[in-house]
Amino acid sequence: MRTLEEVQATLQIAKVKEEDLQPVSYCLSFGDYVSTTVSWSWMIHFQLTISVLIIKQDTSNLLLFVPGCKSPDEQISASPQLMHAQIWGFSNCYWELRRQRPRLKKLKKLLMENPYDGPAVGMQEEAPGLKYTMDDLLERIQASREEIEIENLYIVKHRPVFVGFWRILDFDYKMKLLGHVTQLVDSESWSFSRVPLSACLEELGSLEPKAMIEHCLNCYGRRYSIEDGQVMYALDEDKVCRATAQLLLQKKKCRFNLSEFQEVWQQSVPEGMSARLDQLRGLALLDRSTKPETISLLREEDLPEDTLERFNSLFSLREKWMQDDIEPYIQDLCGEKQTTGALLTKHARSSVQSGFKGVYNSRRPVSN
Amino acid sequence: MVQIVISSKAGEGPAEWLLVELQGEMVSRQNTGLAGNLMGDLHYTKEGVPVLIVGHHILYGKQVKLEKPFEMMETNQENPTFYTVSALIKKKLIFKTRPKPIITNVPKKV
Repeated sequence: MRTLEEVQATLQIAKVKEEDLQPVSYCLSFGDYVSTTVSWSWMIHFQLTISVLIIKQDTSNLLLFVPGCKSPDEQISASPQLMHAQIWGFSNCYWELRRQRPRLKKLKKLLMENPYDGPAVGMQEEAPGLKYTMDDLLERIQASREEIEIENLYIVKHRPVFVGFWRILDFDYKMKLLGHVTQLVDSESWSFSRVPLSACLEELGSLEPKAMIEHCLNCYGRRYSIEDGQVMYALDEDKVCRATAQLLLQKKKCRFNLSEFQEVWQQSVPEGMSARLDQLRGLALLDRSTKPETISLLREEDLPEDTLERFNSLFSLREKWMQDDIEPYIQDLCGEKQTTGALLTKHARSSVQSGFKGVYNSRRPVSN
Repeated sequence: MVQIVISSKAGEGPAEWLLVELQGEMVSRQNTGLAGNLMGDLHYTKEGVPVLIVGHHILYGKQVKLEKPFEMMETNQENPTFYTVSALIKKKLIFKTRPKPIITNVPKKV
């Protein structure tokens, strides 16, 4: 084994002044077995489970892995010392883990094949149709268990009880449930922010399954407890108004007169709630260029998931977009640390229209 | 879709290793393989500059903090998608400059 004296002699020959160096030096050598087929990765600090893309990266440099070797800023001794460190292995490639947006559109598509619209009536058997357990879903979708769980789905326990099927609630059924809740809030003169769970379940339990009522409250409100332990819900005005707008816009596949729509919409939402256009971002498209101004349904979820296809689709619908209008429809395409502005710069061409900056159109010929 | 589980060894945090990055490749003198052989001497100047003496060359490098740390992971034999973190690398010593030759035999002036 090399000694401190030998190392110091080498330093002399190399004309490196010992007084310029830190007292601790390392003698690096290869172990008896040197690992060369190293596969390792970047680590992303995460606490939940996430979806990642694993990419092999090649480097022209040689990477050596040295356990037990301290870096220059980690002084361990003030007196001259020679430490022996063994190189565990070397490589010229590594694996990078890149966070990926979970592909949840496929999840919705799978679940919409058979949405849940209430319990079977009377002696009727539950309608046949595909049902998926969490394991089934994990096998088919590029997403982690936790990413799927936060998607506010309902887990329906069919027989056998220990097998849970993840279902999505049919929209009209959800609105039916919401209607029951808001009517009750109105008749009891409760405040929207103080809706008692137990009273809801008691009053509405005869109309719909209690679990469904609770699920509806979870979808459209925020759950909290008060001093005596009672569970309450604060209904979310934006969510309720937005859902009501969707219900109205879905009725016809066409454009509505904007002012007429706004009137009907305000009348349809629970009394005391304000229907505002900003609640409809990512749900409806306003057209202020026509007389009269119109509004139509355009849901971000209905658009293609792939970035290029999404832009193509948006530009087919409308040749020129204002940045503010297009933003809700491209927000979810943004990768980690990417902004909508960056996406627009990449996929669209900006121009100035009537003195307004931030008008975008397609870079490529739009294919229909 | 593959579900990969990454965890650290229960109880202890992973050990911290050092990464040394060099340009080119490394060969042993008689091409006998690297295992068991000496590689070189690593020193640090008082300013924190790493100095590597390999054979007849001397290289000066610098310490770089990794933007994204490296994880050394071991796989589980029974469960190939279960990885345990065995070591963490947060910084590297990179030697990018051309190695300077060390002249060992200086001819004496006659």
